[in-house]
Amino acid sequence: MSDFGFHLAFWSLAAMTIGGASMIVVSRNLIHAVIWLVLSMLGIAGLYLTLSAEFIAVVQVLIYVGAISVLMLFAIMLTPRAERDNSQHIKTAGPAGVVVIMVMIATMWVAIDTDWGAVREAALTEQARLIGESLIKHYILPFEIGAVLLTAALVGAIALARQDDEDAAVHAASLQAELDDDGSVDPVDVVDPPLPTDGEAST
Amino acid sequence: MIIGLEHYLVLGALLFCIGFFIALSKKNAVGVLIGVELMLNAVNLTLVAFSRFGTAEVALSTQVFVVFIIAVAAAEVAVGLALALVVYRNRQTISVDRTTLLKG
Amino acid sequence: MTDLAGIGSVLGAWYDFRDLNNLQRLITEWIADWGPDWLASIITGVLGALGILGVIGPTLLILIWVERKVIARFQQRYGPNRVGPKGLLQPVADAVKLILKEQLAPRAADKLIFFLPPVLVFIPGILIWGVLPFGPRMSVADLNVGVLFLLAVSGTAVLVLFMAGWASNNKYALFGAMRAVAMSISYEVPMVLALLTLVVFSGTMSINGIVQWQQQEDVIFILLFPLSAIAFFFAASAELNRTPADISEAESEIVAGYHTEYSGMRFGLFYAVELGNTLVVSAFIATFFLGGWWLWGLDQWVPSWVILLAKTGAVYFLLIWTRGTLPRLRVDQLMGFCWKALVPATLLFVVVAFVERTLLISEGWDTTVALPIMAVFNIALSLGAVMLFARVARPAPLRRPARIRMAGSDIGGLNAAREVAARREEPQLQVGGD
Repeated sequence: MSDFGFHLAFWSLAAMTIGGASMIVVSRNLIHAVIWLVLSMLGIAGLYLTLSAEFIAVVQVLIYVGAISVLMLFAIMLTPRAERDNSQHIKTAGPAGVVVIMVMIATMWVAIDTDWGAVREAALTEQARLIGESLIKHYILPFEIGAVLLTAALVGAIALARQDDEDAAVHAASLQAELDDDGSVDPVDVVDPPLPTDGEAST
Repeated sequence: MIIGLEHYLVLGALLFCIGFFIALSKKNAVGVLIGVELMLNAVNLTLVAFSRFGTAEVALSTQVFVVFIIAVAAAEVAVGLALALVVYRNRQTISVDRTTLLKG
Repeated sequence: MTDLAGIGSVLGAWYDFRDLNNLQRLITEWIADWGPDWLASIITGVLGALGILGVIGPTLLILIWVERKVIARFQQRYGPNRVGPKGLLQPVADAVKLILKEQLAPRAADKLIFFLPPVLVFIPGILIWGVLPFGPRMSVADLNVGVLFLLAVSGTAVLVLFMAGWASNNKYALFGAMRAVAMSISYEVPMVLALLTLVVFSGTMSINGIVQWQQQEDVIFILLFPLSAIAFFFAASAELNRTPADISEAESEIVAGYHTEYSGMRFGLFYAVELGNTLVVSAFIATFFLGGWWLWGLDQWVPSWVILLAKTGAVYFLLIWTRGTLPRLRVDQLMGFCWKALVPATLLFVVVAFVERTLLISEGWDTTVALPIMAVFNIALSLGAVMLFARVARPAPLRRPARIRMAGSDIGGLNAAREVAARREEPQLQVGGD
């Protein structure tokens, strides 16, 4: 683990991960923030590869880049543009910074100061098979609970996000009220304004 | 210099702190969710590092744990985003400091 | 995995083109003499990528011509026939035109994200070739999680399409992007389930391992799991945004979908990657379900990659055929077909694969006897499932929508014209010939 190629991989991937994460803090646009998150996740997947954990790395790309980020973008698209602001909370940013710096000092100190013991040279091979076997033998109960949790999350998300026809009518009315307020239409938000009814048209 | 366990642990700690700061300071609910995801990923990175550098019996169980964390994170994001949508629908905002119905 | 040192590399010398892996091994050994081993892996990796690009690039130019000609024949037209002999140089002329065209960017576009997608879309498009086995030892990277890698890489392409559609700041581009994302997320489910069937039955996630399993058992997977193969074919062609399922760039509805605002070579890059993905998907269908580089012993005489390319060509023709024959489906039809037909069918065969695998392994059934029986049973089950679907879950006959969603009840049409006319107290508008 000391040759030049490994060093190059580790430092560039670490820079990618931390850089992407820092850009989330800075960027004001929520969509940009999600794209920086994707960059950071890809960096972490690469770091898993340097730790020779291929299975976890591929799962990371599959779940985070392919699914979770797309889900976030979808959720952002369903809210109007005014809600895509990713700025900081002015009042809490200061105290949050102090707390975070204290946590950082503590975790770094633990990470560097502790003697972590033996360093193993050989990596785990055939991880997919091993993980699969231990999931259905040793960890069968957590596995089942995880399955139930995912099902519950699926049902819960659908139940929450479902829009009844009445709600839809109220929603459309409120959007119409917003449009009346400022008179401007966001070109990206594809919201068809309710067309005038017959009564209005005749007056 | 040999890249060892400490490098990954420091990286994980740094990432965790950035995620923590985002989760604490962002106004937008989706922004907060992004911070939480970063924190979970930092923990995953630390666990995989322990899997690579730890003893043989730790190696497998940490990776299984990471798989569970990823599954739970996926469930959390799905429900969290659905909640954000519902909050938006009822309050016309997903800013966490303007959803203060219980403040009295 | 078995030792395959003897197969496909009889001479083992670099000029033995039955196995190009010999050349790669020679380069690796030569570099290992004087350089560090990371250099060897980087150089062979770059050479492999360049080799793939060098073969795929010119092939794409020919394939454009082939596709246009074949579709023209399906539609009783001539197709391109002006530039060069039999129109062979038409793709070159198109490429020159695309390169010379002006690159426009909408003023309100999100500049950075607008410029990235045509470049980023190449990354999954090329990475995916890396795990395709051209021979027993001929793949750039034979990962033992190859199937998952394939799914992960093809999943990232969705994000790029979304970026393209969103950054254009155009209503139609956004529509196209949302449709593309919704469709590829849905169709990923039957794709994963169809591959899961193979993974369960062959007991390996390595793509080369799946081909070697078919070789050892002397059977191709389309005979064992025909419905999974058909589902994978449909799901893959939907992911490719080709005509039966090209709602994300339906030109009669939303201009050109996510690449509406991309002009010149930027559009050309999207187009090239789409075509390259079509080719790689047919190669993967050939690998997973038709035995890949193996063909009942013929691979001893013919280079394995020639066999794979022949099978790929056959699948590619089938893709052109569906494109030339079927009309474009509506969004709800596509989604309904995915969730109501493909997902249950593939899920059924995942269960069947579990049961049959258990019979083979735990009960110790003889594969030479059991596999033909299972094949017959599975084909019968597939036919039964298709007939059941045709009878029970037949799409409802077309009827008028219960509520017109996009417009008020009397906007447009004859009634509206009559009402407007009546309201203005003008003479009744006479429409029609009565």
